[in-house]
Amino acid sequence: MNDRTIQLPDKVNIDTIPGIYDRIKGMVRRSSDSERITIDFGEVNHIDSAGVVALEKVQRDAGDKGVEIIFENISPMVEKTMQSFSSKLIESPPKKSRPHILEYLGEYTYKYWVTFRDFILLLANISYFGFVSFFHPKLRRKGEVIRQSNFIGVTALPIIVLVNFLIGLVLALQVGIQMRPFGAEIFVAQLIGFAMIAELGPLLTAIMLAGRSGSSIAAEIGAMNVSEEIDALRSMGIDPVPYLIVPKLYAILITMPLLVAIATFFGIFGGAVIGYSVFQIEFTVFYNEVVFILRYYEIMTALVKSIVFATIIIVVASYYGLHVEEGAEGVGRATTRSVVVAIFLVIVADSLLGLLFYL
Amino acid sequence: MHMAKPIITAKNLFAGYNEENILDDVSIDIFENEITVILGVSGCGKTTLLKNLIGLMKPSSGSIEVLDHDIVYIDEGEYNQLMRRIGVLFQGGALLNSIPISHNVAIPLEQHTDLPDYIIDEIVRLKLSLVGLGHAYDYLPAQALARAIALDPAVLFADEPTAGLDPVTASSLDNLLLSLREQLGMTLIIVTHELSSIRRVADKIIYLDKGKVLFSGKLDEALESDIPELQKFFTV
Repeated sequence: MNDRTIQLPDKVNIDTIPGIYDRIKGMVRRSSDSERITIDFGEVNHIDSAGVVALEKVQRDAGDKGVEIIFENISPMVEKTMQSFSSKLIESPPKKSRPHILEYLGEYTYKYWVTFRDFILLLANISYFGFVSFFHPKLRRKGEVIRQSNFIGVTALPIIVLVNFLIGLVLALQVGIQMRPFGAEIFVAQLIGFAMIAELGPLLTAIMLAGRSGSSIAAEIGAMNVSEEIDALRSMGIDPVPYLIVPKLYAILITMPLLVAIATFFGIFGGAVIGYSVFQIEFTVFYNEVVFILRYYEIMTALVKSIVFATIIIVVASYYGLHVEEGAEGVGRATTRSVVVAIFLVIVADSLLGLLFYL
Repeated sequence: MHMAKPIITAKNLFAGYNEENILDDVSIDIFENEITVILGVSGCGKTTLLKNLIGLMKPSSGSIEVLDHDIVYIDEGEYNQLMRRIGVLFQGGALLNSIPISHNVAIPLEQHTDLPDYIIDEIVRLKLSLVGLGHAYDYLPAQALARAIALDPAVLFADEPTAGLDPVTASSLDNLLLSLREQLGMTLIIVTHELSSIRRVADKIIYLDKGKVLFSGKLDEALESDIPELQKFFTV
């Protein structure tokens, strides 16, 4: 049998142990079966938990290989520390059995069903109180409709105007370039007019509002939920739906059609600017072409879309705000989900309404 | 009289927020292997003092020495090295929610050591076992404590560790702190106003009142003190 000894330094701690560990491990690797390595603790006056864990680990691993590691000359103080940090103290957590695939499937199906059910219930609740609160203003938070209208409508105006103007601009340019070889640039006006009124005006405005106001509403309600403000309202016998959510619904129902109208105007104006500067279409000609294509039907389409989109934004934001999980992280997650789901549902609704109105 | 050299010293400390001083000429000494409890009524400057001692806030004037480092004028590299020897148990845990508790405990080990992952994993499991996770102490402060002691700190700061806990759980946490002091030879500085905790764990008391140190001494002396504020605190 071949005996080898490693002398440990005075401090076996988090700084020195990686080197010591590698040295012992290397020695074990070079050792053959039933060899013995002695670790001399004679100089050690300080050992920490990392030292104990690493030395015990290398001792166990060596044992598995048939190499015996013996600890020698351990002072009582070091011995006490080694006992305090011994791996024997490590408790294995109870093993969780993996659920069957059908359990996963069932769980997710149930979760989605509950989400859908709660969403529909909230929609019904908001619709009911949206009607009732109109005749009982006391149910609503005082001054909230004006405040929310200002936040959702007025403060969102510059960005919505800019985005629609730019989209109108670039759309007119790309369409015009495609039509130029056929000498059909004049139809840019009709196309921009129709697309902006019936489709892009409401859709772009809804996407902007879902990102801007929807996220803010989800975060506001979510934060109130986390800090138990919603529970406080309920404990005072105040229903949070008419008190908090209905004023936001009114505000968005008032402001959204106005925003859509302004957005559409600036989208068409963007097209007209390109029509005038690139395709030499006079503003009056552009205006006449837009008016020519415009019917009350398109205006009604835009109005219906803006009302549906506004309701989706409010219901989705409120749903995620009211169902926020614990903590600040939960509020962040609810906000993100509310934006993603609201934009998704707005696009789905837009497609369905498009099919309904024009098929 | 104490002959040993204090491991933490603050001298003539003035500190606060927005140029308004909350700490008003505070001077304290904290000695090795002792449990010092900083106490006082809400708003007296306990947490401000703790944050200054940890280096998370800089005082407007005065000096602080922690483990022979001047923490007021310390550079970032030296501060990071110093913080390897200091554990902090924040009020509410301050664990990173996005990752599991075991990863939380592994963070300081991964960042400050060259240990292989399987050794880190074992140390993490040891620390979680030391604080009794998976058993009676399976609650947030214990999880945060496992992270705070990941590097076997010489000093552990705890900001209201038992706040909001029921008496049984609070007592378990106090016992845990006492046993860790024994096992790791740590010095503990605890901010609290929980009377039962103070009686269970404190060796020394520093009583703050309106940002000033009104009393600094042993627990027994504090209990028998004739300072009206302190008497009122211990008799309510």
